[in-house]
This record gives sequence, structure tokens and C-alpha cells, in this order.
Amino acid sequence: MTGLLADLTTANQLLPARLQMAFTLGFHIILACYGVGLPVLMLVAEWRFLQTGDRLWQKLAQRWSRSFAVLFAVGAVSGTVLSFELGLLWPEFMGRWGAVIGLPFTMEGFAFFLEAIFAGIYLYGWDRLPKRVHWLTGWPIAISGFLSAFFVVTANAWMNAPAGFRIVDGKIVDINPLAAMFNVASGAQVTHMIVAAYMVTGFSVAAFYAFCLLRDPQNEYCRRAFTLGLLLGLVFVPVQMVVGDWSAKVVAKSQPVKLAAMEGQFQTERHAPLRIGGIPDPVTRETRYAIEIPGALSFLSYADFNAEVKGLNDFPDNEKPPVIVVHMAFQVMVGIGSMMGLLAAGCLVNYVRFRSWPKSKWFLRTVVLMGPLSIVAMEAGWIVTEVGRQPWIVHGYMRTADAVTRAPGVWSVFAGTMSIYLLLGIATITSLSRLAKVPLQEDLHGT
Amino acid sequence: MGPDDLLLIVMLIALTLYAVLGGADFGAGIWEFTTALQATDRERQHIYKAIGPVWEANHVWLVFVLMILMNGFPKAFAALGLTLWLPLLLTLVGIIFRGGAYIFRSYGGGPKRELLLWEAIFAVASTGTPLFLGAAAGAIASGKLKIPTENSLPSEFVLGWISPLAVFTGFYSIGMCAYLAAVFLTREARVIGDEHLTTIWRQRSLSTGLWMGVLSFGGLVMVAIEAPHLAEGFVTRGWPLVIISLVCGIGSLIEVWRLNCSRAVIAASGAVTAVIWGWGISQYPAIIPPSITTAQAKAPDGVLWMMLIVILTGGVFLLPALGYLFMLFKGEQLDRKVAN
Repeated sequence: MTGLLADLTTANQLLPARLQMAFTLGFHIILACYGVGLPVLMLVAEWRFLQTGDRLWQKLAQRWSRSFAVLFAVGAVSGTVLSFELGLLWPEFMGRWGAVIGLPFTMEGFAFFLEAIFAGIYLYGWDRLPKRVHWLTGWPIAISGFLSAFFVVTANAWMNAPAGFRIVDGKIVDINPLAAMFNVASGAQVTHMIVAAYMVTGFSVAAFYAFCLLRDPQNEYCRRAFTLGLLLGLVFVPVQMVVGDWSAKVVAKSQPVKLAAMEGQFQTERHAPLRIGGIPDPVTRETRYAIEIPGALSFLSYADFNAEVKGLNDFPDNEKPPVIVVHMAFQVMVGIGSMMGLLAAGCLVNYVRFRSWPKSKWFLRTVVLMGPLSIVAMEAGWIVTEVGRQPWIVHGYMRTADAVTRAPGVWSVFAGTMSIYLLLGIATITSLSRLAKVPLQEDLHGT
Repeated sequence: MGPDDLLLIVMLIALTLYAVLGGADFGAGIWEFTTALQATDRERQHIYKAIGPVWEANHVWLVFVLMILMNGFPKAFAALGLTLWLPLLLTLVGIIFRGGAYIFRSYGGGPKRELLLWEAIFAVASTGTPLFLGAAAGAIASGKLKIPTENSLPSEFVLGWISPLAVFTGFYSIGMCAYLAAVFLTREARVIGDEHLTTIWRQRSLSTGLWMGVLSFGGLVMVAIEAPHLAEGFVTRGWPLVIISLVCGIGSLIEVWRLNCSRAVIAASGAVTAVIWGWGISQYPAIIPPSITTAQAKAPDGVLWMMLIVILTGGVFLLPALGYLFMLFKGEQLDRKVAN
């Protein structure tokens, strides 16, 4: 009996452990994005209040701060889960590499701490602090939110482009934690993620108030909130395009196999085409039904139309990521990014001509759609990064299969986590929608 | 004293702050659990109001301890993930429900029935979390943790950590949290000048305090029987802290009795602090006895020095901010002003 149990449980911890990590991280990232982005919106709204004395701006900041409280608290919980999971699911990874890449986690601990402290002060300080001081206590929230993302993503970038150590006789020596933090992939990946966080916040907020404006077009409160949110999202669209391009160039250099998977590039060739859409087939080793732009991939990756792009066929089978998932996720991210680009361009043209947002209801409907889509794009980007790194947990140095725990019951843990997180997600959304439904007039007179 | 010792001190400080500040927050929930049937609305409000602005910051100390362990003593961090698989998973469940329930109760704005449900979840989770975390600590202290290997049976992963001492410390930490909370809440009630609440919490502090005194003696006997190595450490190095804990414990009871609340808070915190440092000092240099010592688990010295620089720099920002938070929401004068 116990023998059978042992067989069953040790047969495969890798899949449930990866699913568990992917699911809890995917959940946390959404909350983390709001933790980075919402403080900026709160600061702007409260700043407008300080400038104009208009109580509506203050209400906006106060209501956002309450939503922030909910999202930050749930994010703190899901973040704690992740810090435990590093040891519970990937003990071999942490045991071997913790010394090399632990430093950004220690730093992140401080940033998270400062964010929690000032979140407490800001949220409970509305009546206790002078107005200007209260506004100032919002700054550390925004700054430490930014820094949290910065530190933690450098650690992830290191998994893609390990640096800051040497291996001598199988032992890790000459550890330089700063070199590990600031590896080849850090700059692009960190910037890409933080910009994405602002975009997700901006588009989510804009989507919510666009929905409100569709029902009540004259609502001044919703109009202001909508404008702030959408501006935050749109401003970063062109930035993200440049950063995305930078990011792809870094991947081309540090992880050519990931780039090949992203693009569904099987043959190594010069003048490689950029594929839009298409379904890669790992059996026949070709990507079908894609629109191909000749030479564009070579150009985008190496700034030269005739540069050679390495194809998946040149890598051994046990070093290739699952190409279908990576390619599809990449297409989704780029597709949504392009839609945002069109929206931004449309808004700009309209603004130049009429000095206002487009009047059409279809504009608002598009923005409503952009909220969830921005989250989808961000998650798709994470799938590209994480699944594209497989089968490695530390690219080129440690396989994910060698890092996983030997503990039993990971499937059950995953099932339990799914149900708990489902409850957590529903309760979060319910709380947020109840907060939004408090009638504004009532709220304006109360404190 | 090398950088690893300095780092251990930092870790022990963080752990102490988590036990005292986070422990008091958990304790508030434990009281909600144990008094669920007789507590009035006003008494409940008192509890929730007290932990509102600070619980999240207090919670971060735990994450902080974990991160230092992971970065500075990676082998110990990995070993704990394996040996304490079950109690740490259960702790996580507690942390999720405690945090979630608090926030949904406070900001959810649901109907009364739903509010009561969240309060119930908050109370149960606040009791379960210190139980499992305390049990995990006891499992380490027992000196009997085996690191599972390739050939370990699943049952060793799931049940291998259980020992009489682990079970005892699980319940001991519940008592410790409840005691801290009772003393802290006596002070809060006194600060807002509510006599009814002050009387209740004073009485609760005294009764739990006495029980904790008895339990602490039991704990020492337990350690002597169950964890001989730790007991040896207590006899040779840790004994002054046992005395400090005893003095602080008795002192806190006297001060609660006299309603010198701030002193009572300091003394109660001191008693808990002495318990934790006594454990740490007696167990040193083992980090997970019997197999893993700090020397085996530590990262290279260069990394540790770098960590210490980061911690020092971070502390320059962190400590004033933390002081400001507590001054704002736990300072006496401001509270009086608001209460009036």
C-alpha cells in the first residue's frame, strides 16, 4: 500500500508544481500591477484636489485608496504565498542558488515593508494628517511599489540570463550578487514589466469608468476618473512598443531558443520573416497559416535584414520550450499591444482635431474591452517569459525537473489552492464592486 | 563574530518583532474566536480598530525573516521547505484566510450575515496560523527533524515533523499571542478611556498571564525531556533569558493589575522576546538541529556582508517610517485627541 502510494505521488511532482506556481504567480501579478499603478492615480487625483480644492477630486482619491486597500491586502497575502512557495515547491533551486539571487528578494522585502507602512498611514490618515502631509505620504507607496517590481523582476531576469558567479568543479564560486541582479536581461525585462503594470492599471480603471459613462454619460465623477485612467494607459503604449522591441533584442542575444519559439522559427536562416499569427507544428517543423513579412524578424532582432536567426531545429530536443504555447502567447500579447497602439493613435488624431476624447459610444465600448485585454496581454507576456525558459529554471544551469520538491500530494495542494483562490478572487471582485456602488452623494457628505 | 552571526541577530530581531507585533494581531483574532458567543459589538469593534492600520506592516516581518533565511542561509531554507512541508502549507492557508477575511470584513460592505461569516473565518484563521507556525518552530527546536531524501516515504514528508514538543509549542504560541493581545488591548482600552473594556481586558490579561506562567514551566520540563541538546544549551548559555522572561512575565502581571498599561505592554513584550532569544541562543550554532548548522547553511561571506549593507541601508528608511506609523496610530496623545 505505501509502496503504491509512493509510486503514485513521486511519479510526477513537476507538472502540478509548475501549474501551482504559474497559477499563484499569475494571480499575484494582476494584484501587483495595481499595487504599482493605483498609487500613481491616487496621487494625481489628490494633487488635483490640493490645487483646485474641488472635493470631487478628493473623493476620487479616497475611493481609489479604498480599492487599493483591498487589492494591496490580497496582494500581500498572495505575495506571501509566493515567498513560501519558493521553498516549498523549489527547494533545490533555492538551496543551490539562493546565495546568488537572494539579494533582490531581501531588497524587495524592504520595499514591500515600506509600501505596507505607508499604505497604513495613507489609508487611515485621511482625518489625522494635514492635507499636504497626507498627499506626501502617498509618494512612498508609489515609489516602493515601483521598487518592489524592480527588485523582484531582476531576480526573474537572472533566471533567464544567469550571471554573477562561476562554476568550478560543480561548485558555485565568486558570487557577485550585484552582477547577478543587473544581468543582461534585467534592464529590458524590468522596464517591460513596470510599464505593463501602469498600462494594466490605466486600462482597467478606464474600462470600469467607460462602462459607467456608457450608462450615465453626464457623470462628472466618472468622466474625470476615466480620463486619468485612460491617460495613464495610453501614455505608456508607445513607450511599451519601444521597450518591447528592446526586450526582443535582448532575448535574441541571451536566449535564441526562446526567440525561435516565440516566432515559430524552425529553420535557421538569413532574411528570416516576421510571422503574424500562424500555428507552429512541432512534428512537421513548420509554422503554417502565418502572414509573413520577409526579413522583418532578422531586422527586428539584429537590426539587419540579412542577419541569421537561429531556428528551433538547431537545438537539441531536450532544450526546447513547448513552441505552440510560447508562439501563441506571444501573438496574443503583440496582437493586443497593436490594438492599443491603434486606440492611442485614434485618440491622438481626435485630440488634435477636436481637443477631446472621441464622442462615439464605440470608443467607450472599445475601452471597456481594453481593460480585460490589458490583463490578458500582461499574462501572455509572462507565459512567453516563463514557458519560453523551459525546460530550465536557471537558463543553462539547472533544469526545472531537478529543482522541484520531492514532497507528496502536490496535485492535492494545487486543487486546494485553486478552490481557495477562486473564493479569494470572487470576494475581491465583490468587495470592489460594492465599494463602487456606494452612492457618491452619500459619500460626499460623510467622511 | 562573522557576518553570519550578525545576520542571525538581525533575523532573530525580525522574528521577535513578528512574534510580538504580529502575535498580538493574531491574538486579537484568537480572542474573537474564544469569546465569539458572548462578545458585544462594541468589544469586537475595539479589536478590529486596534489592528486596522498596523497588521499589514506587522505581517511583513514574517516575509522579511523568510527572505533573510533564503538569501543568507539558502540550504536551511530549502531544508525547511522539505521537512516542514505540511505545517508550512497549513500556515499559508491560515495567512490567506486571516488577511482575506480581515479586509473583506472591513471593506467588503456586505450584509450583516456575510460580515459575521468573515469575522468567524478571521477568528479561526487567526488561531490556526500561530498554531501551525508555532508547531513548525517546535519541530525545529525538538532537534529531531530529519531531512527527507530521495528514498523517503510520503508519510515521512507529511508526518515526520510531528513530535510532542511541536504539538506543545503550537498551543503555547496560541497562548502567547492571546496574552500579548490581551495586554495590548487593555492599553488601547485605557487610552480611549473606556472603563468597561479596560476591566474586561485587564481580567483577561491576568488569567491568560497566569496560565502562560504555568505553561512556560511546563515548556521547560518538556524541553528537558524531549530536546536534551536544547536543554543543555539552556543550562550553559540560555539561562539568563529564562530568568528575564520570568521577571518580565511577573512584572507584566503586576503592571496590568495596577493598570500601568504602557509598562505592562513593555514587560509582556519583554517576556516573549526573552523566550525567543533564549531558544535562539541555546540552539546556536545549529539552525536546524541536529543536521544543519549555520556554518553549513550559510552563503559565502561576501554575500552576507552585502546583505548586511542592504539591511542597514533599508533600515535607515524603514525604522523611521515604522516609528511614524506607530506614533500616528498607537501614540497616546493623538488617540486622546481623536477620542475626545
